[in-house]
Amino acid sequence: MTKAALVDITKCMGCRGCQVACKAWNDNSGETDTHNTGSYENPPHLSASTWTRIEFYEIGQNGGVQWYFRKHQCMHCTAASCEAVCPTGAISHKGEFVIVDQNICIGCGYCAMACPFDAVHREPPLGTARKCWFCFDRVSNGYEPACVKTCPSGAIEFDERDELLTTAQARVDNLKNNGHPKARLYGENELGGLHWLYIIDGRPSEFGLPESPQLATNMLVGQWVGGLITAGLLAAIPFWLLFRRKRELEESSIAGGEQ
Amino acid sequence: MITWGSPIWLYLWLAGMTGGAFFAAFLVDRFMGGTQKALLRLATYLGVPFAVIGVLLLIVDLGTPIRFWHLFAEFDAASAMSLGTWILFVWVACAVIMIVLWYGERFLTTEGTRIAVARITGALSWITFIFSALLITYTGVLLASSNQALWAGTVLVPSLFVASAVSTGVAVVIITALVGRNQEITKRTIARLSEADAIVIAIEMAILIGFAIWLGISAMGGATEGLKLLTIGSLAPAFWVGVVLLALLIPLGLELSHWGKEIKGRTVWLAFVVPSVCVLLGGLILRAIIVVGGQM
Repeated sequence: MTKAALVDITKCMGCRGCQVACKAWNDNSGETDTHNTGSYENPPHLSASTWTRIEFYEIGQNGGVQWYFRKHQCMHCTAASCEAVCPTGAISHKGEFVIVDQNICIGCGYCAMACPFDAVHREPPLGTARKCWFCFDRVSNGYEPACVKTCPSGAIEFDERDELLTTAQARVDNLKNNGHPKARLYGENELGGLHWLYIIDGRPSEFGLPESPQLATNMLVGQWVGGLITAGLLAAIPFWLLFRRKRELEESSIAGGEQ
Repeated sequence: MITWGSPIWLYLWLAGMTGGAFFAAFLVDRFMGGTQKALLRLATYLGVPFAVIGVLLLIVDLGTPIRFWHLFAEFDAASAMSLGTWILFVWVACAVIMIVLWYGERFLTTEGTRIAVARITGALSWITFIFSALLITYTGVLLASSNQALWAGTVLVPSLFVASAVSTGVAVVIITALVGRNQEITKRTIARLSEADAIVIAIEMAILIGFAIWLGISAMGGATEGLKLLTIGSLAPAFWVGVVLLALLIPLGLELSHWGKEIKGRTVWLAFVVPSVCVLLGGLILRAIIVVGGQM
C-alpha cells in the first residue's frame, strides 16, 4: 500500500494556506522576486525555496469564465525523470516518495531540466536541488503533510493511494453528472502513477499540466544511436571519400601513367 | 528561469571541438595510411586544454562546486551526465598518456622500445577515437534526455551537435595549423580538410532542416513554441545570422568556391581561415541559443 495526496481543483478556493504551511514547516525563506506578473499568483513561480504554490487559471466554460486554482508541487512520480538523470544518485525513491539527499546533491541542475512538471529547482545561494519532499519527516511519523493539514476547504486529501483513486473516481462521476462533463482524474497512470492526484475540470494543459508527460530518458537509446549513426555517416562520406577514396584514385592514376 | 547558463553552452562548444578535432584528425591519419600524425598530435594538444577548461566551467556552474567529485563516486549509464563524466575522463586520460609518450619518444634509444611505444599510442588513439565519437554524441544526448521541448521534441539534437562538433573540430585544427605555421601539415591536407568540412556543413544543414520540421510537427507540448522562438522569436536574429549564415551558409559558400583550386598567398585567409572562424563562432552561437532557448 502506498500513500498519496488528492487535490480536488473544484474545491480549492485559492487561500494559499498550503503555501504558507509548506514554508513554515520546511523553514523555507520568503521570495524576494514578488513583482506583479499580471496575476494574483504570488510568488510568480516555484523555486528552490518555494516548493508549492497555487496557480490561477481562467477557463471558458458554458459561455462564461470559470476561475480555478491548482496546487503545484513535485508529483512524486513512480517513473521519476529527476531520479533517472541524476548523475550522483542524490535523488531516489524512499518508498513512494522522491527525495533529494542534500548531502549528496552537487547542484548540477540536470533534474530541473528533466522534470516534466517544473517542480525541482536549483538556485543560488542554496546550491543544491530542492523540492517538495512530501513532508517525509511528518509522513514517516504518521502525520499528514503540512499543506494537507492546513487546507481549510478539504481540497487536499492524504490517504492510501488506492483509497484516493476510488474517492476520486466517485467525485469525477459526481461532477460529470452535475454540469461538468469534462471532469477527469489526472495522475492515475501518468509516469507509472503520480503520488499527487488531481481532479480537474478540463484538459490537463488548461491547468498547466502536460497532456502526456514522458520520462526524460525514454528516448535515450534512440538519441545515442542517432548521434553515433551521424558520426558514422560523417566518417564515411566526407573523410573516407576525400582522404581514402581520392588517394586510391590518385595512386591508381599515377600507377596507370607509369605503365 | 535559466538554470543552465553560459558555462554550460561554452562547455558544450569546447567538448564538441575536443571530440570533433580528434575524430576528424584520426580519420584523416588512418585514411592517409598513417602519414598525418602531426594532425593527430595537434588535435590531441588542442583537445586536452579545451577539455580541462570545459570541466572547470562545469565545476564553476555547480551549485556546490566543492562536491564535484561525487560525479566519480557513481556510474549510471541511464544518466547522460554520469556517462559523459566518465567519457570525458577516459578521453582526457588517454590523450594525456599519448602526449607523454609522444614527448618521451625522443629519449628512446632502441628500435624495440620505439615500436612498443608506437603500438601503445596506436591502441590509445583508437580508444580516444571511439571516445571522441561518444563525447560529441553525449553533448547532444545530455540536452535531449530532458523534458525541455526544444531539446527533447526531436531525437535530432545529438545528430545536430555531432555534425557541428566535427565542423568546429575541423575548423579549429585548420586555424591552428595555419596560424601556428605547422610545416608538417601540408596545404594539400588543409585543402582536403576544408572540402570535408563543406560536406559536413551540408549534412549539418540537412539535419537542422529536419530538426526544424520535426519540432514543427512534434506532439510534445512547447515544441512548436520552441521552433517559433528560434525562427521568429527573440532568438531569431542569433539563429538566422549566427547559425544559418555564420555556421552554415558563409563557410559553405567560401569552401565550395575554393574547392579543388590551388590556394596561394592571401587567398589562404579567404579560403581557409575566414570560413573556419565563421564555423567556430556559429558553433558557439548554435549551442548558446539551443541551451538558452530550451529553458525559455
